[in-house]
Amino acid sequence: MKNIWNILFLEERPSIGLSFFRIFVAMTVGLHVIPSFFHLDDNYLSTAFKTFNIDFFPIPFIDWVHKSPDALVIFFVWAFVITWFCFLIGLFAQVSCILMTGCCYYFYALNEFHIGTLSWDILLVTLFLMCVSPYHGDYFSVDALRRGDADAWRRPRPFFIQRLLQLQVASTYFFTGLYKITGEGNWITGNPIYYLMNYPVQGVTKNFILKEWMAVHPHFCYVTGLMIVATEISMPFLLFIPRTRRAAIVLGLCWHVLLVLTLDVPTIFLFLFPAQLMLFIHPQRITGWIEARRRINAVSPRPKIIYDGECGFCRSSIRLLQVMDLWGKLEYIPGPKGMSEMKLYSSDDKIYGGFFAFRKLAWMLPMLYPMLLIVYFPGSGIVGPLAYRWIARNRYLFPVRHICSAGSCHS
Amino acid sequence: MTTHSRNKLISIFVVVWLAVFYYESTCYYYLQPHFKRVLPRLKFLFPPAGWIMFYNITDNFNYAEVYGVKNGVPQLIDPHQILQTRAIGYDNINRNALITVLSPGMSDFFCPYLKRKFPYFEKFLVTYVEYPQLTEQPFEKRQAVVYECNG
Repeated sequence: MKNIWNILFLEERPSIGLSFFRIFVAMTVGLHVIPSFFHLDDNYLSTAFKTFNIDFFPIPFIDWVHKSPDALVIFFVWAFVITWFCFLIGLFAQVSCILMTGCCYYFYALNEFHIGTLSWDILLVTLFLMCVSPYHGDYFSVDALRRGDADAWRRPRPFFIQRLLQLQVASTYFFTGLYKITGEGNWITGNPIYYLMNYPVQGVTKNFILKEWMAVHPHFCYVTGLMIVATEISMPFLLFIPRTRRAAIVLGLCWHVLLVLTLDVPTIFLFLFPAQLMLFIHPQRITGWIEARRRINAVSPRPKIIYDGECGFCRSSIRLLQVMDLWGKLEYIPGPKGMSEMKLYSSDDKIYGGFFAFRKLAWMLPMLYPMLLIVYFPGSGIVGPLAYRWIARNRYLFPVRHICSAGSCHS
Repeated sequence: MTTHSRNKLISIFVVVWLAVFYYESTCYYYLQPHFKRVLPRLKFLFPPAGWIMFYNITDNFNYAEVYGVKNGVPQLIDPHQILQTRAIGYDNINRNALITVLSPGMSDFFCPYLKRKFPYFEKFLVTYVEYPQLTEQPFEKRQAVVYECNG
């Protein structure tokens, strides 16, 4: 029994999957909340039309939040945007997650009209679990760069949060299916899909190719409904049994794509649930795959980076590249003191220098992908080299991170 | 913190979380009917009625329509003009978000909002539209004024 408990919750596994999941949670929260900020006067300020979720929040809490002056609302808007962005990029990941979640609660209590749905409640449960653990900031994060830990992606961490997130999504499927056929659910006594297909244009059903055909084939709709219920109820078993796991993940992904194509359902169905299904992939499978690619890259001709080996700032920057170099794609060679710029010798025998070397690197390292927007922004081809040259000229003046200040960087 | 005490803390958290999660997931539709009484609930975290996505879809469909009245002539207001916030990836109006305005007591909040958004109109009619049996009588539609917002 103790062994099973250990395997289920106490075992340590790499947290790379959870780190990747953090990005999806942040995107879902942002896509859900930020649009409501574009009409503050309609949604949150004193002029707004507000509804309150008195089943979710205690009434004194709603009263208290409802008294917020407009200036406080605007303060919370900025607090949300800043903490959300920090959470997205993984800067102080746990603290930013806690503060962002606090802002989410504030806006939910202030007005549930636009953001309050059942899927928002699901998102809050997910956020609560993310607040408990700092491990989602281990990789794909600024925190990983701050720590300078090149092995962060494979460092074993307690697995319990990822397991609880797995249980959450599996149970949500299960109870969603169960509620459809018990209590007040009508998926056996009625024909809900048939009704949905006959909804008027104001209804939740989108116009898709088969809609009209399904609207006149009630038997097909009924059987489809039963299959959906059976799939939802069996999802936990399919997901937790190793032999059926892969099929269940694919099935789940297809299911969510179908949902989004056919119904007006909140963004969470496209961004959160599929990512949560990916948490069922064993982290060691992911790290094993990465390690296999690193081994292949290690024996293949790799692009070489030559940098000023005598400059602490340069060594510190190379250390950051090593943290970001998940696939081990690059070879780092310290060059002579006084180099004017970093050089990148690509595998197709081309040489890039300075800003253009950095631009090339942005294509090679997954964690630099967001930088593509900046390094290819119109005008960056002029401003970028100037900025690079200024930094290169003054590189001996910049403070150096402690990991590289003692003559060499730790590996 | 030693591994032993860390594991102890994790175990306590996991046990409490699982107990609360499954209690809250089953409370409204299973535990309360079983024990025939209202059970205590945890605020702030779980959906009050459980995971009830699309669990009860009936053969009828109701929604709200709002009319602005100018010179005695009612004009239908596009619901996307009433709720201008655009959600990404879906249409909140098609999720029937506007139906909330028909709830009792909503006129106190909704009327001032309409007057601010549409000062052009003299008054507003908030109506309830119902298709009572979509599959059998798809064209039968009932409509009634639920409340008026006077200027």
